[in-house]
Amino acid sequence: MTSAARYLCILFLLFSLIGCGAHSHTLYEWSGYDAKLYKHYKDPSNKEEFIQALKKVMDKAEPAGKVPPGVYAEYGFVMYEQGDNNQAILYFQKESDKWPESRDFMSKLIANVNKTTKNQKKNVRLPVGSKKGKTKPSSEVSK
Amino acid sequence: MRRIPLLLLLPALLTLFGCAHHKLELSKQEKFLSASPRSILIVPVVNKSIDVTAADYMLSTITIPLAERGYYVFPINAVKRVLEDDGLADSSLVHSAPTSKLASLFGADAVLYIIIEQWDAKYLLLTTQVTVAINYQIRDGKTGDVLWENEQKMVYSPQQQQSSGNAIADLIILLAQAAITKAAPNYIPLANQANAQALFKYPGPGIPFGPYANEQKNKQEKSN
Repeated sequence: MTSAARYLCILFLLFSLIGCGAHSHTLYEWSGYDAKLYKHYKDPSNKEEFIQALKKVMDKAEPAGKVPPGVYAEYGFVMYEQGDNNQAILYFQKESDKWPESRDFMSKLIANVNKTTKNQKKNVRLPVGSKKGKTKPSSEVSK
Repeated sequence: MRRIPLLLLLPALLTLFGCAHHKLELSKQEKFLSASPRSILIVPVVNKSIDVTAADYMLSTITIPLAERGYYVFPINAVKRVLEDDGLADSSLVHSAPTSKLASLFGADAVLYIIIEQWDAKYLLLTTQVTVAINYQIRDGKTGDVLWENEQKMVYSPQQQQSSGNAIADLIILLAQAAITKAAPNYIPLANQANAQALFKYPGPGIPFGPYANEQKNKQEKSN
């Protein structure tokens, strides 16, 4: 078989594959979210980098209305871990408003932050989001 | 020269074969379609392989394909931390906990479990070959029934530009690589490719479109 014929065959195959299911546009603007998450898992101590990465995703996606699910919540959670309870609630609320599927979880998180805020005045911190080791079961899901 | 028409027929035959195959696979999706989950909770990955980084790669890459498929995907990092606080720091503990309990903790319609069975890198002179076997399973958040399951086995080599001897395999690899972030480091393209192959072949062994993908499609149809 000539190389030209082989080339034609491959081209044909390529087009039939593209026709089958490849989508060129995405529902959301991700800005390399996967790589950022991986980096965070590899080095969880570098919170600042993760915060900046999440900010970047939101800044790029918001103008187009393409903020991916979970990003506001993720940002709120890091804010909570940093002790910024007001920002945490703000972003949990944003997630809850945008995604009705997240409402249960977000309202639990908001309730927890509110409790923490109360307890912080008495210098006590609740376990959700705190460091490993200090854990104490906070719901029925424990082994 | 006689071989050329035959070879040109091959894609057409394959397409036909693909269609018949899809119809068969559709019946397997009935459970998923009748449950029609809107939200999927991704729990930490169980890693049975020798590569310690494999679980983090799978966990960080699975959100994008699932969300792009049209589902609400819970924030995996926040989920992981909350589970840790509930005494479920170990992923195998999470996997053995009742699905309904996990789902109700987050208000999720369904839960996705990923188990890495194999992730072996073989270093050759000019390239690296990674053999992976990954098991995906989605269970109903209320009943715990398996709604969908797929096992992805493949050999990945990042420098593969020429040919694996199979034109279709080469093209799938090319397409998957084009769909991922350009500057992604080492195993992210591999994880993306495995996820894409496992989730996106629909009709087929992949998962149906979720509510947000359907909305998008409806919008497009209206504007046309």
